[in-house]
This record gives sequence, C-alpha cells and structure tokens, in this order.
Amino acid sequence: MTTTSLPRPARPRRRGAGLPITRRLAPYVFVAPFVALFLAFGIYPMLFTLRLSFTNWHGAGSAEWVGWDNYTYLLTSPAFWNSLANSAVLWLLIIPVQLVIALAAAILLDNAKLRMRGFYRTAFIVPFVTPLVAVAQIWVVLFDQNYGAVNAVLGALGLPDIAWLTSSEWAKPTLALLFIWKTTGFIVVILLSGLQSIDSTVYEAAELDGAGRLRRIWSITVPLIRRTLMFAIVLQTLAVFQMFAEPFVVTQGGPYSSTTTAGLYLYNHITRGDLGTGAANSFLLVILVMALSLGMVRLLRAKD
Amino acid sequence: MTLTTRAGERRRPHIGSHAFLIVLAVAFLAPVVWAVLSAFKPANDIIRHPLAFDPSTFGLDNFIGMFEDVPIWHGFLNTAIVLVLKGSITLFCAPLAAYAFAKYDFPGKNLLFGTVLLTLMLPTIVLIIPLLLEMKELGWVNTYQALVLPGAVDAFAIFWMRQVIAAVPDELLDAGRVDGCGEFGLYWRIVVPIIRPGLAGLAVLTVMNIYNDFVWPVVVASSERMATLQVVLSTLASTISGNKIGADYATVTGELLAASTVALIPLLVIFFLLQKHFINGILAGSVKG
Repeated sequence: MTTTSLPRPARPRRRGAGLPITRRLAPYVFVAPFVALFLAFGIYPMLFTLRLSFTNWHGAGSAEWVGWDNYTYLLTSPAFWNSLANSAVLWLLIIPVQLVIALAAAILLDNAKLRMRGFYRTAFIVPFVTPLVAVAQIWVVLFDQNYGAVNAVLGALGLPDIAWLTSSEWAKPTLALLFIWKTTGFIVVILLSGLQSIDSTVYEAAELDGAGRLRRIWSITVPLIRRTLMFAIVLQTLAVFQMFAEPFVVTQGGPYSSTTTAGLYLYNHITRGDLGTGAANSFLLVILVMALSLGMVRLLRAKD
Repeated sequence: MTLTTRAGERRRPHIGSHAFLIVLAVAFLAPVVWAVLSAFKPANDIIRHPLAFDPSTFGLDNFIGMFEDVPIWHGFLNTAIVLVLKGSITLFCAPLAAYAFAKYDFPGKNLLFGTVLLTLMLPTIVLIIPLLLEMKELGWVNTYQALVLPGAVDAFAIFWMRQVIAAVPDELLDAGRVDGCGEFGLYWRIVVPIIRPGLAGLAVLTVMNIYNDFVWPVVVASSERMATLQVVLSTLASTISGNKIGADYATVTGELLAASTVALIPLLVIFFLLQKHFINGILAGSVKG
C-alpha cells in the first residue's frame, strides 16, 4: 500500500455530491406524490392484469391458470375481429375527410387578412369543449329516423329519409359524423400551429414561379407541415381505436354489432364479468395501437 | 400581378373562402344551437316541427320536468366534488414533479422520466380493466377515491409543465438560493409566479377533461349515488322513461335536450371567458406524443 502526500487528482464527482443535503433530497420529495400515484394506479394494475390475462378469472372466486387460452380465444373470435374491423372502417370514414376539412380551414385561417378570424376559430372550437355524452344524446335526437331534424332537412330538400341509427350501413357514418364534428376544430388548431411556423417567403417564390393555389398547397404547405399532419393522424388514430362513449350512448354497439368498436368491445367484457379475456383484450389493443402509431411514424420517416 | 408585397402579407381571401368557412362554422354550431333552442320548445313541437322556432311558444316545461325526473343536481354535485379534489391534486403534484425533472439532476431521473414518456403512448382505455380490478380489490368501487385518485397526475401534465418550467432561467433560482430561499420556496415564490400562464392553461384543460370524463366514471362509479354528471347524462332516455311512467317520445326528447343544455352551459361559459387559455391549453396538448 503506498501512501502519498501529493494531493489526489480531482476525481469526477458523483452527480449532486457536495451539494447541501436538502438540495439533493428535494427532487425526490417533489416527484414523490407523482411516483406514488403512478406506481399504485399505473404500474401495479398493468402488471396485475398481465398476469390475469393468463387466467380465467371472472371477478370473484379463484383464478385458474389457462395459459394463452384467452389470447387464442380472442384471436380466433369473429366478434373480436369484427370490433377491430368496425374501428378500421370508422378510421377510413373519419381520417381522410377530417384532414381535408381541417387543412383547408387551417390554411384559410392562417391568413392574417381574413375578416372574422376570431369568430371562425371560436365556432370551430365549440364542439371540442362540449361534453361528449351530452352531444351524443343530442345526436340521437337529431338523427332519429322519424322525428329528427336531419331527416327533416333532407325532406325539405326533397330527399328520402335515412335510417341513420337503425341500419347497419348508416350507423357507422352517423358515428363518424359525430366524431368529425366533435374533433375537427381541435385538429384545425393543431395544424394552425404548424402553419404559423412556415416562412411566407416560400409562397412568394412559388407564386412567382406561377404555381397555382392547389399546387402550392400540395407541394409546399403539406410537405412543410408534414410532421404536424402526422402527429394529428397518430393522435386521431389512437382516439378512433379507443372510441367508446359515442357508440355507448348513440347506438349501444348496434345494429347487428355494426358499431361495436374496439373500445366498446373491451368494455363489454366488463359487463359480462369476463375479466381474464378483457385483460387479454387490453394487451392486444395496446400492441395494435402501438404498432399502428410506430408504423405511421416509420412511414413519415421513409418519406423524409 | 401579385398582390403579395412583403413577408407575412398575403392576398385578401376570396369570397369562396368565406363561403367555405361560414358553412363550416354553421355546421359546427348548428347542433348545439339547435339543441339549446329546442329545449325551450313545447315537447311535441320538437319532434313534429324540428326545424321551426317560434319564440312566442318558448317555455321552461322541459326543464321543469327534467329536474323532476333526472338527478342532474346530484350529478353536478359529484362532478364538482371530483373536480375540486382531482383538479387540486393534478395542479399541485404535476407541476411540482415537473419542476424536479426540469431543474434538478438526480440519480434515477432519466429512468423515471422515460417511464413518463412511455405512458404518454399508452391508450388510456387499456388501463380501464386493470384499474377496475384494483378498485375491486381495494373495495373502492363506487367511491370518491376511485373517481379521484387514478389518473390524478397524468404523464401529459408533467411532460407539458416540464417544458414550461425549463424556460425559467436558472440564474433566478441561483439568486433565490443566495437569498436563502428553501428548495420548495424556490418553486413556490419564483417558479410558480413565472409559469402562471402555463398553469392557467393546465387548469383549464384539466377542468375540461375531468368535467367531460366518461369512460372511467361509468366503469367504476355507475351507482345512482356516485354517478357524475356525464354518467347521469349517458342513460337519460331510460332514466326519464323510468321515472315518468307512460312518457311519450316527445316528453323524453324534450327533457333529454333540457338536460344536455344544462350540462353544456358551464363549459361554454368557461370557454368564452377564458378562450385564450383554452387555445393555449389545446395547443400545448398538441405537443403530446
């Protein structure tokens, strides 16, 4: 063992070492309430449910280990695939229409010379702040086949009645309309934030080149706000696959399960008390939604 | 010739643009306006003449009937209790944790914050069954705890507030330390006053989310005693026809619209008073992900 009288070379100190104890402890105290709630109501139930998804537990009594049975049951169940297909169709009915409307509205609102800008922006956001359940109830009344205002308008225009809520071909579009109505204003605000970061000189250059308006939107605006657009799409995809209150209130999943969305199907396991299957369904949905989001992010990167 | 002269200035919008925006604005406002106005019409007129509005026939019959048949005050009361408790927890805990993430360096920080980011990606609905089971274990089904605690500090609020707090200059905190301010004092006396606009945005968004929350309340607290406003609203038709034996479709519809109108009003009032914070909140919300 060698001792030396030379001063030891300064070692890199541990993070936070040398600081007063209060300063080192403070961050832990500050995050403690969050961590406690997060462990109790985030991590713990997830782990518990992962285990449960391999049992046949029905909410009471003892649980029996059933291995992958719940998963194979779901993956071979037409009802499970039907719920995913319903959500996928709703996605197709909603996302393209909503994006086109929102993009057009956002581009027009981005113009500082537009009169009544404030009014439009307010009008577009109103649906987003209204409680979904209340609006869903209003939808039921508006779209009633015999007494609803929507069919009254169609009648006044000389068009035939539509069985909005009671036919399996129209129930999905009716829910899609509700979703589009409720969330398009939100997407407009998001896209506006993307548009406001574009330097307007790029438009001027394009204009000098003689590019028409639609062409400018397609080849300049859209690429420049690609990230914002993609973000909106991911956000809405998550929302569509979780859609629950709309079918719960408006159609109760019918007619003929045509509006039993992935979210509502998950809920139905609870009402049937089939919690093991419900747990497995939760994880399948997590995997699906994660894969969808990552896939879309990939797609975005590939186009860069 | 182009009218564009300098950066930021573009053409005056075309008449077609206004037409498009007006059609859109009408479409967005019409359902709400229709429902609110119809709620004042005689019930039979709502279904017989859904598009006609004659102010001379307006009255409060639907509202009077609705208050008799629907326990809406009870729903408001439960929502208000949850709003105050859950809202206070969110507004106290989330920015405080965010402050630790933004301004301190501590072992375990990256792991913790990474987990926060990961939970941002989880669809909320998949936690419903796990949480419900936990509530059953704890005996918390149909209690206020169950409505308040899960989701009280969500990852998004922390993520957002961390960005807001990161913009506060470190020099201010150092100066505060020199002046003998304690660690919590730094947060409370220096950070909070600076981030007030961000906090206002968080407050508005939190109120909106809690007021409108439906999935979790309907799963964990659907009993009559615990039903929040949204849960009460979700079963209006059966509640009304259950309490008013022999009620016809018109009566049920009238009361249903009256209840929806009453539920819309608080949020619309908050929205119009605090529009700026609302838009800020939504925009910050869009950073999520």
